[in-house]
Amino acid sequence: MKINQIYVNLPVKDVQKTKDFWTKLGFTINEQFSDEKAACVVLNDNTFVMFLTEEYFQTFSERPVPKGDTTQVLVAIGLDSREEVDQIVNAAVANGATQHEEPQDYGWMYQNSFWDINGHGWNVTFADMSQLPQ
Amino acid sequence: MEITDIYVNLPVKDVQKTREFWTKLGFSINEQFSDEKAICVVMKENHIYTMFLHEEFFKTFTDRPVANGQTTQTLLAIGVNSREKVDQMVNIAVDNGGSTYSEPRDHGWMYQSAFSDLDGHQWEVMFGDVSQIPTE
Repeated sequence: MKINQIYVNLPVKDVQKTKDFWTKLGFTINEQFSDEKAACVVLNDNTFVMFLTEEYFQTFSERPVPKGDTTQVLVAIGLDSREEVDQIVNAAVANGATQHEEPQDYGWMYQNSFWDINGHGWNVTFADMSQLPQ
Repeated sequence: MEITDIYVNLPVKDVQKTREFWTKLGFSINEQFSDEKAICVVMKENHIYTMFLHEEFFKTFTDRPVANGQTTQTLLAIGVNSREKVDQMVNIAVDNGGSTYSEPRDHGWMYQSAFSDLDGHQWEVMFGDVSQIPTE
């Protein structure tokens, strides 16, 4: 079994602010799938994040939206270089996010992270699989 | 900006049972990134992976407690290549300890069905033909 695409759906308090935030990080918005209740951020051709207002998100689940005091998911995204990793995290922090932990350098992988303006956790990585210790 | 790949990280109570569940759904496991604390399910080679981490291990990556299954922070929508595959995946999930939480929905251009996995993570399985999206 293989999938062809993924949409990670996350609840947010303010769609417009969320759109501004992810645009400042350098990502594009799929306007066809965006409106006042949701913003579709294009991570690449097959990976998208849908940020839905809490009220709209709530219509898809019988369980309540968490208040930001727990974690159910952490999303890790891979980029093409260490520089891009730091660039994204710096842009995030400059626009209201908070640094999650210090950058970590594993040699074959470099990782940095932030909590976005809605409290969702993002790990940003650059990995060179050819350098993975055997 | 474009990403190269995505790893969705989710907490689970039992790594081995989770491995069996996703294997039954037909997915392969990346053994290089799997051990007794975590498994890496390959959803689309080189692009999309889900890492299921034991709750104790997951906890080390966040300063907030692990969600107790009473709330929903994320819904994961995954696209497959046909309606039949949508139904097949949801049926296998339910036969192996998953459950449904909504009825299948047919939007014409998109067919969608959903299941809740062993740990209550919610998956929206869909087949969409974007060329059929109504233009008005």
